[in-house]
Amino acid sequence: MALSQPTENICSMTTQELTQNDPISNWYPVANADDLPFRHTFHGKLLGQEIVIWRADDGNVNIWVNRCLHRGVRLSRGLNNGAELQCQYHGWRYANRTGGCTYIPAHPVDSPAQHLSCKTFPAIQSHGIIWSGISPEGVPPKLSFLDGLTPLNLRSLPAKAPADSVNEHLSKYMFHPDNQTDGEGSSLVTTKAYDNYFQITATVANSTSTLALFAQPVDEQSTIIRGVIGVPHNSQNVLTVLRYHNNLMCKLRDVIEADFELKSKISNTFAAVSNPRSATRNIANNSGSVSFLKVRVARKWSTAKDVVGLELLPIGNQQLPTFLPGAHIDVFLPNGITRQYSLTNGPGELDKYRIGVKLEQVSSGGSKYIHETLSEGSIIEISTPRNNFPLRRDSTRTVLIAGGIGATPLLAMAQVLEKQKLNYELHYFAQSDEHLAFPEILNSLGNNCIRHFGLSVEETLAKVRESLGEHNSSENLYVCGPGPMLEATRNIAADLGWPDESIHFEYFKNSKIVSFESSFEIELARSALTLNVPAGKTVLQILRDNGIAMPSSCEQGACGTCIVKVLAGQPDHQDVYLNDSEKKRGDKMLTCISRALSNKITLDI
Amino acid sequence: MIKLYDFELSVNCYKCRLLMSILNVDYEIVPVDFYPGFKHKSDEFKKINPLNHIPVLDDGGYVIRDAHAILVYLATKYDSTKRWYPIENPELLGETASWMLFAEGTTNTASAARLNVNLGYDFDLEKVQEGAHKLFRFFDEHMWFRNRSGGKWVCDSEHPTIADIALFPDVVLAEEGGISLIDYPALRLWAERMKRLPGFIVMGGIFPASADRIN
Repeated sequence: MALSQPTENICSMTTQELTQNDPISNWYPVANADDLPFRHTFHGKLLGQEIVIWRADDGNVNIWVNRCLHRGVRLSRGLNNGAELQCQYHGWRYANRTGGCTYIPAHPVDSPAQHLSCKTFPAIQSHGIIWSGISPEGVPPKLSFLDGLTPLNLRSLPAKAPADSVNEHLSKYMFHPDNQTDGEGSSLVTTKAYDNYFQITATVANSTSTLALFAQPVDEQSTIIRGVIGVPHNSQNVLTVLRYHNNLMCKLRDVIEADFELKSKISNTFAAVSNPRSATRNIANNSGSVSFLKVRVARKWSTAKDVVGLELLPIGNQQLPTFLPGAHIDVFLPNGITRQYSLTNGPGELDKYRIGVKLEQVSSGGSKYIHETLSEGSIIEISTPRNNFPLRRDSTRTVLIAGGIGATPLLAMAQVLEKQKLNYELHYFAQSDEHLAFPEILNSLGNNCIRHFGLSVEETLAKVRESLGEHNSSENLYVCGPGPMLEATRNIAADLGWPDESIHFEYFKNSKIVSFESSFEIELARSALTLNVPAGKTVLQILRDNGIAMPSSCEQGACGTCIVKVLAGQPDHQDVYLNDSEKKRGDKMLTCISRALSNKITLDI
Repeated sequence: MIKLYDFELSVNCYKCRLLMSILNVDYEIVPVDFYPGFKHKSDEFKKINPLNHIPVLDDGGYVIRDAHAILVYLATKYDSTKRWYPIENPELLGETASWMLFAEGTTNTASAARLNVNLGYDFDLEKVQEGAHKLFRFFDEHMWFRNRSGGKWVCDSEHPTIADIALFPDVVLAEEGGISLIDYPALRLWAERMKRLPGFIVMGGIFPASADRIN
């Protein structure tokens, strides 16, 4: 039988599928879906850029630059724990979805700086293929020939030749629908759509078969040949098809490599792939600098008596920024009121933010508005998460003490500790079962969540004492709840010998009596400025009046967002954020509420 | 007690340590200053192994040299389930033996490249690297189809064999010899599986894997 010549037609499909010339804006296959089994980290490369690809337990596929931000070690050697990727070298952890750094073991008490974020690339899974690109436009090609069939991903073949050379040969790939003979006798129709994508149909008599072949440009000298073919559902001869094409493609690869070797001997000029480094963003400008974003209230439900849960989803293709367990966000309500709420998300859970809002008995319009007026579908503005209540992950025992709605930041912490199988207990004090917020999260913590109902003040404090016990080194306490309970817990811990640095707390609000009567000078060491703070004004206000940007959140000395280093002078703290030793050291203060006891105070601004 | 004449950074010594750890066999280490002391070339060590190489295993006076031979001995003697060295299944035993010979190839190429790069041993680096790539290309194809047919290990068996042990560090440490594993996804997957075997131990350059279940 005569062998028909393959034909090549630039087909006139949609504009999106027309040839694109800029490799930076193309979508390319970079892995097969089955290259990413449970908890695997996959090492890939596209256009000269090494990438790490990993699937989190929530199904999300992450594609990042393959370097730890710390010492540049390949993250593909790291550990995928299903929610975070951990570098093998010094244990830095990065969150699913954002690539934001969530933990630095050498600095267990500190929040990693917000700009520490791995550079991410888009990832889309379709037809059993993981697609990505440097900054791809539109969507990956839709392979409609697979409609009604099961896509079967052929074994991918790395070839030592540039993509252009590979493409010349791919268009001539010959095969037979019977999966046996070497393409002889079949009539082929080859269609070229993208630069690196061919669709080839082989037909003999009544038998026909279509496949797509792709050239993934790895770097100037190497390409990965990928392919997908459609087989009937529940096909019994999958392995035969795979082996058949693997054999043919290996032969084709031999030809490609020999041809390229010959060509490069004759001339060293071959089409270079654009250097992708020019297309990479400056890491320092990454999402860490975004301060506000709009989100949609996707779900509002009653999670406990007088407590509603809100699920906040990003709008459009925005990615929610990284958060650390214990972080809170500012919520800017349409009625002009701003409130802070802790995120209850588990590690790597970055498709939405989840908060819990308790209806305050005496509400000045925040919680009342959320409970009564805010509806599903509303668009509200929030701040990026602030990580002022960071969790150590190097404790031998972590005790979380939650009072009422104070449980929310501790729920985020408990989920991290649970995931990492660290030794911890969450003691949740509430009036009754129906007052427990987010029972579904509590259930996921198993026996590590201990619920205490309807205890009197004395009983509560006795239970706290019992739960804490004597302090051993490397044990840490995190407590959040109503002011009096928090105060008492801190005292009990101190009484039992827990040192200040092991007691971590977060107040909802500052209920201390504060004074703004004093007047003093502030010297800004790095800005070479001296400013006067008169009675009735705060340091924060004066800084802002003079054009100095300073983040803030609660503005009552509870959250720690506006903290600055004090270089000289004696602060008058007035806040509930710093612990007693920190206050005694006097080397930090909160600009929203702290003042000076000395005439002048020098700040590291 | 079994004595292993050992050098911490040697892949061949590691193969013996790994199998003994998996089989829960007690042993003690006799350190040999392979580098920088070159003590395996000393007259003193010649009395233990006239061929002047490590590892050597001494099991109560029975002395055996060469990692792959030591694996055969240890598995036959200490694995009562007879799965690591399947002497009761001739076909599988033959397959194991052929992959053990294949592992001689990876040791002489991939691990030789590592010795050249790390410790300055005199090998033609380009040649051994090219040789390793040739073997890995074949091995990756084999493992990809093993996976596709539901197999997890080098040989067609439910349980790993000493061939897996013999090949494992040659593959994982190849990158230290300048042989990138980026083109061998099926080998990387298999190596990860090896790291999840009960009794798995690490060595310099061989890191643990994450847990393969929801925890």
